[in-house]
Amino acid sequence: MAIALVSAAVVANRTDFSARAEDAPAPPYTVQDGTKVDQKTLDGWKTWRALACERCHGAEQEGLVGPSLVNSLKTLSKEDFHTTVINGRPEKGMPPWGGSDMMVKNWEGLYDYLKGRSDGAIKAGHLYPIAQ
Amino acid sequence: MKMIYARPILGGLAISTALCLSGIAAATDTETAMANPSDWASQAGDYANHRYSTLDQINASNVKGLQVAWTMSTGVLRGHEGSPLVIGNTMYIHTPFPNNVYAINLADQTYKWKYEPKQDAQVVPVMCCDTVNRGLAYGDGKIFLQQADTTLVALDANTGKVIWTAKNGDSKLGETNTNAPHVFKDKVLTGISGGEFGVHGRMNAYDIKTGKRVWTGFSTGPDDQLLVDPKKTMTWTNGKMAPIGKDSSLKTWKGDQWKLGGGTTWGWYAFDPKLNLVYYGSGNPGTWNPSQRPGDNKWSMTIWARDLDTGMAKWVYQMTPHDEWDFDGVNEMVLADIPVKGKDTPVVMHLDRNGFGYTLNRVTGELLVAEKFDPNVNWATNVDMKTGRPNVNAKYSPGTTGPDVDVKDICPAALGSKDEQPSSFDPKTGLIYAPTNHVCMTYEPFQIEYTAGQPYVGATLTMYPTPNSHGGMGNFIAWDPATGKIVWSKPERFSVWSGALTTAGDVAFYGTLEGYLKAVSTKDGSELWKFKTPSGIIGNVFTYVYNGKQYVGVYSGIGGWAGIGMAAGLSEGHEGLGAVGGYKDLAKYTTLGGSLFVFALPDGAGGTAKSANNVQ
Repeated sequence: MAIALVSAAVVANRTDFSARAEDAPAPPYTVQDGTKVDQKTLDGWKTWRALACERCHGAEQEGLVGPSLVNSLKTLSKEDFHTTVINGRPEKGMPPWGGSDMMVKNWEGLYDYLKGRSDGAIKAGHLYPIAQ
Repeated sequence: MKMIYARPILGGLAISTALCLSGIAAATDTETAMANPSDWASQAGDYANHRYSTLDQINASNVKGLQVAWTMSTGVLRGHEGSPLVIGNTMYIHTPFPNNVYAINLADQTYKWKYEPKQDAQVVPVMCCDTVNRGLAYGDGKIFLQQADTTLVALDANTGKVIWTAKNGDSKLGETNTNAPHVFKDKVLTGISGGEFGVHGRMNAYDIKTGKRVWTGFSTGPDDQLLVDPKKTMTWTNGKMAPIGKDSSLKTWKGDQWKLGGGTTWGWYAFDPKLNLVYYGSGNPGTWNPSQRPGDNKWSMTIWARDLDTGMAKWVYQMTPHDEWDFDGVNEMVLADIPVKGKDTPVVMHLDRNGFGYTLNRVTGELLVAEKFDPNVNWATNVDMKTGRPNVNAKYSPGTTGPDVDVKDICPAALGSKDEQPSSFDPKTGLIYAPTNHVCMTYEPFQIEYTAGQPYVGATLTMYPTPNSHGGMGNFIAWDPATGKIVWSKPERFSVWSGALTTAGDVAFYGTLEGYLKAVSTKDGSELWKFKTPSGIIGNVFTYVYNGKQYVGVYSGIGGWAGIGMAAGLSEGHEGLGAVGGYKDLAKYTTLGGSLFVFALPDGAGGTAKSANNVQ
């Protein structure tokens, strides 16, 4: 729940997308050892995997046909991220995922996951839940 | 304007070229054009998928003098697969999505006409592995284009005017097309792509005059949809051919999973006019998570022999039962009559994604040869010649280890020891010349739910150069289809993703991902000539004669599965991470492009009609 509130705060506060580092809010994910994450982030990663995002964005989000998300998530706002995944960018080859229940349910977790990848805090590859 | 051509006396092995043109009461315009080596009238130059030309103006002794004759931009910066066609004084070129078609007057390289289809851009995200298109077909005075959005279009070859269109699939369900249509006699054959979207794979035949669909033969499902006769359609069983029996596909799937069964058909088909049989391969079964779809998943991963007129299957052979690696069976089917074990045999030859080269009797479907064409292939130790099944190595079997387990160092990778990049058969040597991949992978399957129109993959994988080998990601090889032996192998830094061409000049041509067009000796693979084009080459090399002069051409424009890493954003710090490391290296050599390169010898260097023994 705490994490969800942090995410909401990010949405509310981030109007300046080029915010300086000292203004950066706490990360929206919780991670241990680079591979253990909170449930919401884990669901985000599972969504990444199930929708085969790596086919265009690369197994390490480094970019293939699609852009590097390691780079994009440094500047892309959460709002723009949401718009992009739901509506797609068909002219560039990005599918609209609004028809995917998994994406509609987990897009925030996906954002958190990719943010963690972009920050270098979450490792590429398989993720696991943080032990309760 | 067509050159009159006196066919050189063919050697003993060359009967296969002749057979494809014999036994026909009245040759179609496609067949007439294919018989004229001045033309390049189909993607492979013939029905048999030889990609061989009897032209020899350009040959092993003078190819070193080859120069650029002319070039042309296609105007599209994506992966350029396939090749142009040449009929008489016109060249027909195509582009990746949006699939433009240009007719070019060879006299002055001006446009005769252009066809620029309007397609819904929503189709682009559904296309696997770049927005490639593998080229056009010619027949009945028409040029055939198989658009990405599944529309099959017949254009007037003289004017570019649309004569008919046919809807071949539904992109909303993830169905797209990347394959070239194939004209066989009075029909246009075209398959479907979308094996990663749970589509129901099939082959379609259309009437060349009207565009009316004549038959559809599915890869999976009930017998009537497969177009099989349980008593007459045969398959290799315990060392002999036997009927496939009732419900041969249904019995090998759990519930109704066959409806999402894949078995797509986006490769290179062949036709034997004497037998009236069409040969092609079906692709991977739906979802890459094998434990989710128990059974052999017939008839995915299968070589099909179907009657051209009815679609009925005469025989089938499944190469990779219960696929666990995405080893689509769609690669080119090559037909020839060759001596096997001392006996002249009508065969179909096929170098599969799974790393095995197969030779079967194309009349009966009997399995004759199944051997590795890359010694590093490890997912199976061998093919049991009695059962026809691979002996799978449990260590490299993601279906055995189950979901969420990372299986390491499987060779080859999902893109196979060879993908769609078509090989060439040289009847003079009796060998197949094949562009190949030398790539391995880690493979982690996971549970996946099906949603219409969305990816139905269910595996994460990483690809990298074959460990403990020459360090490169490809080889160009000569393969003996009669014995299943590698005759020679030329290492390449990257996957060789360009279709090969061999000629009577004892030269094999192929392109590289760095952008080189290379000419090598068919005898030993020694490099005779190379030229660096602006972008990586994944197109197929072709040749023709205009005004008495032989030309060799190829598209330059990287993309496709092997080249997708070129597009954007390769970040630092991924050295050693397999494919990414490889792709990153590729970025040092080339970038996106879209152009046609045409080469010839300078006048006086053998590049004129007077020196040719076969052009009058």
